[in-house]
Amino acid sequence: MIDLLQLVVAGLSTGAAYGLVGVGFVAIHSVTGIINLAQGEFAMVAGFVAIALLGAGFPLAAAAVAAVVTVAVLAGVIERVAVAPAAGSSAVVYIMLTLGVSTTLKATALLVAGPQPRALPAFTPGVLDLGGVQVRPQDLWILVATVIAAAALYVFLERTTTGRAFRACAEQPVAARLVGISPSRMSTLSWVLAGIVGAVAGVVSSPVFQTDWNIGLFLGLKGFVAASMGGLASIPAAILGGLLLGVVERLVAGYISSGLQDAVAFFLLIILLVARPSGVFGRTGAVARV
Amino acid sequence: MTAGGPRLAVEGVSAGYDRITVLHDLTLAVAPGELLAVVGANGAGKTTMLRVVSGLLPARAGRVRLDGEDVTGRPAERLAGAGIAHVPENRLVFPGMSVADNLTLGAYSRRRAGRTAADEDRAIVWDLFPRLRDRALQSAGTLSGGEQQMLAIARGLMARPRLLLLDEPSLGLAPKLVTEIFSVLGRLRDRGDLAVVLVEQNARAALRIADRAVVLDRGRLLLEGTPDELLTDPRVQAAYLGRGYTPATT
Repeated sequence: MIDLLQLVVAGLSTGAAYGLVGVGFVAIHSVTGIINLAQGEFAMVAGFVAIALLGAGFPLAAAAVAAVVTVAVLAGVIERVAVAPAAGSSAVVYIMLTLGVSTTLKATALLVAGPQPRALPAFTPGVLDLGGVQVRPQDLWILVATVIAAAALYVFLERTTTGRAFRACAEQPVAARLVGISPSRMSTLSWVLAGIVGAVAGVVSSPVFQTDWNIGLFLGLKGFVAASMGGLASIPAAILGGLLLGVVERLVAGYISSGLQDAVAFFLLIILLVARPSGVFGRTGAVARV
Repeated sequence: MTAGGPRLAVEGVSAGYDRITVLHDLTLAVAPGELLAVVGANGAGKTTMLRVVSGLLPARAGRVRLDGEDVTGRPAERLAGAGIAHVPENRLVFPGMSVADNLTLGAYSRRRAGRTAADEDRAIVWDLFPRLRDRALQSAGTLSGGEQQMLAIARGLMARPRLLLLDEPSLGLAPKLVTEIFSVLGRLRDRGDLAVVLVEQNARAALRIADRAVVLDRGRLLLEGTPDELLTDPRVQAAYLGRGYTPATT
């Protein structure tokens, strides 16, 4: 029983990181229809920036915040420079484009930081004992960061005019233009939001997963599976999907074989694409919702 | 802005999609305070004309002027702030949002005008469509077709337009609701400054409230005149009103 709880807690925390990356996929896809293959790299870049700033003597909190801001700006610039000029292209063009962005970011990280994995230190050291369940404090940090990011996103989307405009663009793009909402601005905003959630995931998960030039592939694939559970259209479903994926992975690793852990995501993805293309939590034929 | 000039002038506009030209050299004008009905069969180019005026579709030739100012080629998201409100075919309300949020977004182009201005506008449209007030917190996707149409018009009015473009507001609605919505359109026109372009397949209902009407046929202007002139024109009677139609005696 203790084992089970321990696996679930660890699974929830890695799953929360997957979910955050998944939210980035949803943010961009729901407004622009683009699947951003560089989503995982946002997490990788943020991890490296935070590690570098920490190494340069900044306090951990400042390094973390600065890394998130840096990646948010980077994502916005990428949208303006690489994506916006291709407006109106076919899906294949965007796949090549975002794949190119992903490769560029990976290669740059490899050149600058080298092939060795690095990691941020755990935000608080030690191990917590919650009634016999051993919990790494970093797992709680990941969960807390996810809750804060999700709550901030909720308030932004539900309570602010810009957030409503963002949802309007996802729900009904033609009508959104007719009330004066600029699709290109909302596209930039979607990349910035995706940069923020990806960066948060990259920073808080760095002590657990470590940061190397290729970590974006791992996080991006897991995040994509999480987002697919809601048909790439729902933020809450992406977070739930991430949590589900994280827990199932840990349970498979703990009770069956740790070698199977990474196969779980792809097994789930195949079942999902065959059986429920609109997502486990999505409804067939439903309107895209953020 | 030229005093006494038309609110909207469409001058020799051609437009289309891919290799198909839908509108051919179309010219028409609407004055402030005037309600122009645009009737014609499916595929006559009515919706295309509205899409060009509101900036959703670029014109291939010709000019569009709003109060004399050339707005040809300006994208829709900028024309919304310039005073053109386009209530599109099939309503296109934001289904996942409440009625109140739909209205708030209607005022998006004036979001810097402040909360009081938006509150005033909301009071005005609630007065026009009291049903919407009762459903303020309901999500728009759960409204009936008629209520969604009212919401789409109300959302357009929230931008305080000078020109209101309506595409098939009667589509799929019960006759009673059509009457209700058209009587609101009449009231809007009677305020004196708003120009309204009403695209309708329900020619009879449209001609009843219009000041002037045009008939489009395969992308060209076929006829132009007062509703009475059009109602008695044999071509209109045969093609758009059904045979044997006699104008109402009221």
